Amino acid sequence: MPARQLALNVRLRDDATFASFLGAAVHEPLLAALQAQCMAEGEPTLYLFGPAGSGKSHLLQAACHLCPGSSSYLPLADLGNLPAAELLGGLEGQRLLCIDDLDRVAGQPEWEEALFHLFNRARENRCRLVFAADSSPRQLPVLLADLRSRLGWGPVFQLPAPDDAGMQAILQFRARCRGLDMPLEVSRFLVSRAPRDMASLMHVLETLDARSLADQRALTVPFVKGVLGL
Amino acid sequence: MPDVIWQQCISRLQDELPSQQFNTWIRPLQSSQDGQQLTLFAPNRFIKDFVSDKFAPRIRELLQQIAPAEVPRLALEIGQGRDLEQARAVQPARSAVDSDNAFVAPAVSGYAVSGGATALRSVAAPRMQAVAPQSPRQEFGLAAPALRGRSAPDDTQQQNLVDTYTFDNFVEGKSNQLALAAARQVAENPGEAYNPLFLYGGVGLGKTHLMHAVGNALKHQNPEAKVVYLHSERFVADMVKALQLNAISDFKRYYRSVDALLIDDIQFFAKKDRSQEEFFHTFNALLEGGQQMILTCDRYPKEIDGLEERLKSRFGWGLTVAVEPPELETRVAILMNKAAQSRIILPPDAAFFIAQRIRSNVRELEGALKRVIASANFTGRPVDVDLVKESLKDLLALQDKQVSLDNIQRTVAEYYKIKVADLMSRRRSRSVARPRQVAMALAKELTNHSLPEIGDSFGGRDHTTVLHACRKIKELRETNSDIREDYKNLLRSLTT
Repeated sequence: MPARQLALNVRLRDDATFASFLGAAVHEPLLAALQAQCMAEGEPTLYLFGPAGSGKSHLLQAACHLCPGSSSYLPLADLGNLPAAELLGGLEGQRLLCIDDLDRVAGQPEWEEALFHLFNRARENRCRLVFAADSSPRQLPVLLADLRSRLGWGPVFQLPAPDDAGMQAILQFRARCRGLDMPLEVSRFLVSRAPRDMASLMHVLETLDARSLADQRALTVPFVKGVLGL
Repeated sequence: MPDVIWQQCISRLQDELPSQQFNTWIRPLQSSQDGQQLTLFAPNRFIKDFVSDKFAPRIRELLQQIAPAEVPRLALEIGQGRDLEQARAVQPARSAVDSDNAFVAPAVSGYAVSGGATALRSVAAPRMQAVAPQSPRQEFGLAAPALRGRSAPDDTQQQNLVDTYTFDNFVEGKSNQLALAAARQVAENPGEAYNPLFLYGGVGLGKTHLMHAVGNALKHQNPEAKVVYLHSERFVADMVKALQLNAISDFKRYYRSVDALLIDDIQFFAKKDRSQEEFFHTFNALLEGGQQMILTCDRYPKEIDGLEERLKSRFGWGLTVAVEPPELETRVAILMNKAAQSRIILPPDAAFFIAQRIRSNVRELEGALKRVIASANFTGRPVDVDLVKESLKDLLALQDKQVSLDNIQRTVAEYYKIKVADLMSRRRSRSVARPRQVAMALAKELTNHSLPEIGDSFGGRDHTTVLHACRKIKELRETNSDIREDYKNLLRSLTT
């Protein structure tokens, strides 16, 4: 067996930035609003919602990217079990806070109250807020009315989930961002055969990127089948 | 070159860490290098401890690699670095549009520097508070600058009043008439007409606006007046800090020295006994001194659980007045008013369209209008009903109904009067096989599941079976009117 080339850390970084977000026409007003968030013309609050895989987390992190050293990204799916008041204390000193997975803490009084107070402090301190959740402020099961009404205070944008063609385009685009060429048939194969949530697909892309570099192989359907054991 | 090392370090961390971790924990850190010490400032203790625990060892390693000749010492603090301070300091004056969220300083930041009734010694911006805190004492942001004895460059800006909330731009309607009249009275005769003025009602109905309008009117009449607005949380936080800093007498002195005290959302005092106690004394002192108090709450005072009876009864000593949700005409007027403030032409039919659909509160109206403005600005189109419909689709539309495989199987079985188990079974008679194919085709169309996942959910069938079913049903829908009809009915019942 030939020795596999060690994959050194020379792949292109594929961060969640605006440059690596494949937007469609429907996204444009939202992208413009998000990019303005770090500047004087930004809104005090933005709210985006959409199903998993619609790009919310990507966009929130991209917004943080424009505000280096003065922004925080808070994925509540991961942080929701931490003490809310302690975690959120003092964050209003940042210029931008991007709070993701709001739906994960909706209905938890401790979190709702901490977020409500953070909201008020943020407005007082000119700290911009971007929220993301799986449903609109009206439908999010938030118990604290004071918080719910504040969530809808700024513009609300919906992000649609990509369809099959959209997913294929995203895969090809993200592969290109990594300097990897993904033929159409490979993207089609992945979308029909691999797990279909965007996070898993990105993980698959990561695996393929590493293996393709290590094996010095182009992405072909047989190669992908072999790597993924499909 | 203070930050070059940290910038290199950040770049390495960005390569190494998953982007989410980087954005959550590393991104908010600010740095400052002083000689051989690199200090990282975290926004709060929790983040500081987390970074110290999880990332500091790696950061030290990286520092060693980046600057092997003179490895800087790493220190973690709570607060903000110099860069941000400077960036903030040179930020241009706020624009009219966002002035409503551009408060300058916490109300209490100057309480430890006592002054006369009209000499509020508030301290510069809150962001100056925690610069390189050196001792636990200084970690308490609000009080710290005061303890360091800074004086305010401009007292008039320090009282948290939002200057855009005035009587002039408050839209009057049946729902808020009484509250508005009372607020005007108070503005004309502070400390005399109604003390306290207690405004209560649902969220986003304009209580805070009225409260600020009184405050601004008072400031207008007497620019020296010390009018302090704060949210109840801040009163509690200030008190806690004052206790920790052993500065409770300064706290008392500060709050009792105001000409008018406006406290928002006092329902958050509930169950905070010590704060209630302190507030009770402040309340009495202000009342005796003839200083005006305005309080807001989301409900009638008697209905606040966890609030002391003596406070409830005192709240009723002045005037208690409700603010109701605005009726349609008022909602239209509010929209027109806000559009004019944003210099947007909003035709009445478009305003009417929004106001008819958004009834609950003014914040949501404002949010909807902002969304419309965002679309208008982006597309360059004038605001009309069509644009409104288009841009509020997101907000108003019921969320796309999530259709599950289970749901499809149940609905299809019911429709064809067979059992769900039949759909999963190995049976291949037409009476079962056709519905199964229909269900598979629907699953492909309505869910996000892959062919293998759909196959699995139908009793472990192969993905090629699903593919075949989808093709077959597509073909039958073109040639067979029964199937076409069935499919259409099922699609409708699953998606509406």
